[in-house]
Amino acid sequence: MFFFVVRRLIASVLVLLASSLLVFALCAASFDPLQRFRQRQPPPTQEYLNGVAESLGLNDPFLVRYWRWLSGVFTGDFGETLNGTPVGPQLITRLGVTGRMLIAAMVIAVLLAIVVGVIGAVRQYKPSDYTFTFLAYLLIALPTFWFAALLKEFVAGGVNDLFGRQVLYTIGEQTPGIELYATSGEIWADRLGHLVLPTISLALLSFAAWSRFQRSAMLDVLGSDYMRLARAKGLTYRRTVVKHGLRNALIPLTTVVALGVGTLFGGAVITEQVFVWNGMGRFLLENGIRANDLNVVLGWLLVSAFFVVVFNLIADILYAVLDPRIRLS
Amino acid sequence: MATTQAASTAGAALPAEPGTPTSGGADGEFGVKARSQRQQITRRFLRNKVGMTGLVAFVALLLFGFVGPLVYGTEYRTLNRNAQSVSPGVAGYPLGSDEIGRDLLAGLMAGVQRSMFIVLLFVVIAFPIGLLVGALAGYFGRWVDSVLMRVVDLILTVPLLVVLIVVASNFPGSRTPLGVGIILGLFGWLDLARIVRSQFLSLREKEYVEAAHAMGASNKRIIFKHLIPNALGSLIVWTTLAAATAIILEASLTYLGFGVNGANETSLGRLVSDGVQAASTRPWLFYFPGITLLLIVLSINLIGDGIRDAFDPSNRRVRA
Repeated sequence: MFFFVVRRLIASVLVLLASSLLVFALCAASFDPLQRFRQRQPPPTQEYLNGVAESLGLNDPFLVRYWRWLSGVFTGDFGETLNGTPVGPQLITRLGVTGRMLIAAMVIAVLLAIVVGVIGAVRQYKPSDYTFTFLAYLLIALPTFWFAALLKEFVAGGVNDLFGRQVLYTIGEQTPGIELYATSGEIWADRLGHLVLPTISLALLSFAAWSRFQRSAMLDVLGSDYMRLARAKGLTYRRTVVKHGLRNALIPLTTVVALGVGTLFGGAVITEQVFVWNGMGRFLLENGIRANDLNVVLGWLLVSAFFVVVFNLIADILYAVLDPRIRLS
Repeated sequence: MATTQAASTAGAALPAEPGTPTSGGADGEFGVKARSQRQQITRRFLRNKVGMTGLVAFVALLLFGFVGPLVYGTEYRTLNRNAQSVSPGVAGYPLGSDEIGRDLLAGLMAGVQRSMFIVLLFVVIAFPIGLLVGALAGYFGRWVDSVLMRVVDLILTVPLLVVLIVVASNFPGSRTPLGVGIILGLFGWLDLARIVRSQFLSLREKEYVEAAHAMGASNKRIIFKHLIPNALGSLIVWTTLAAATAIILEASLTYLGFGVNGANETSLGRLVSDGVQAASTRPWLFYFPGITLLLIVLSINLIGDGIRDAFDPSNRRVRA
């Protein structure tokens, strides 16, 4: 197990390096960091543009540029944005903002998916199964931003009317400047009010797909011989389902959830855009891709890739814990 | 199930057709008609209400998107300065019009057409790649597995949506349904490969695979005749979920400003994302495209669910 983890960690570092090189190549080939200067009125002279290109190091060979970025990362320096602010501290602040939403959404989605998936499988073709199935299908069929707009229209308005004051917020991750006058309790209440709707829209969409997967895995397991054997040995139905069935039916879900971390990071890009959260997603989209800023895109990539790698490692270890037939080394 | 029994009893009176496989003399006496696996699966699907509902809805949507424009006759590109933001039902606009006077019903037909096209491209490109990569990695293991899975890991470290944004933001021609469909297909097979692989890892250890080996079956035969059919249930669940996701990804890409674009192009995603901005002022632009998208995705998923049940040999609810 120990050697497996070490080997996987080394492989993961190599994968991170390779994927950063891939993204670096993709962006370097197509981004135009000088675009913002070209659009100025009156247009700057070619000499000026050449000077900026030189100072940004755009004229150096590709590998030299990559190495400059990479050696910076090894010393904890993620480079600067085109505006000259360092990327690293920005990433940390914004990861904190996105992290609140992601962790809450993931925990809710996994727990709901397991419960609903198992109920659906055990009570296959009963009314409860049909209800969950129908709900899951509705959720899967909705684009996040459309569903989020519905939440903004109805849930936010309804809840706020119910309480007679603003409890749920539809814009931002907290009330701007609140830390200047509020107590820490009020700040957390305010953040929670901002957190609810984005988390719901992010969680429900993953939950729906995961619960279908859990149901289908559970159905496969319920029909297997060892379940019948366990019943034949006199175990209660509940015990066979939970101890024998669920344990094995969780194996496929771990893969899906581990892969879902990346999807959640991607989903957060949309959710943050809808709810105007200044997290990682908006950093990537507005400061990175729209601004043609390579360092921002790479910074985002490293953070999200790091989490994807970690969660995949956890999933692989969980395989071995859940299913003794699978050997890691 | 009375009809089944009647049919098989009637079948018993007839001599077995030449070439029809029978399940042996004993079964023949009781009038059990042998059916190929494919026939069984088709029959199970046809008797599945959920799956058939999906199929009917899907065909209806296909007709709406491809035959509808011929019947309805209005071009979705037609601008009408005198009919801007018309409410549904007014002045010959059954579903209303948008702020520059384009007919929403015609727009929806065009949008459905393009969504179907995008999904088709996506599945045709992504499914074979994912199946092949996953099957090779899971079956052969060792270095084949390592190499293939590292490549998959490499691309998977970046969330699909972001890969799509980066690619779509930079490549000319990517702002059309054709471009979006191809990009989705080229990057959408990764999770399928991983699921196929994990299925194969456990399936290849089963006794029937060992038995097939012992009887001299080739690797190719084992993969195609034994492993893929047994993994097919979950692969189809994946395909339907992914096809649905592809439609939604198109909508999301377009919403973020990296999808279908251009003055003379439309897509369901574009209608939906335009509609979100009008949610409270011109609600029909918000609801109709959203509901249409919901119907497409829903019908595909219902079909998938029906197929899943039909493939499952342990499924005894629908007799075959």
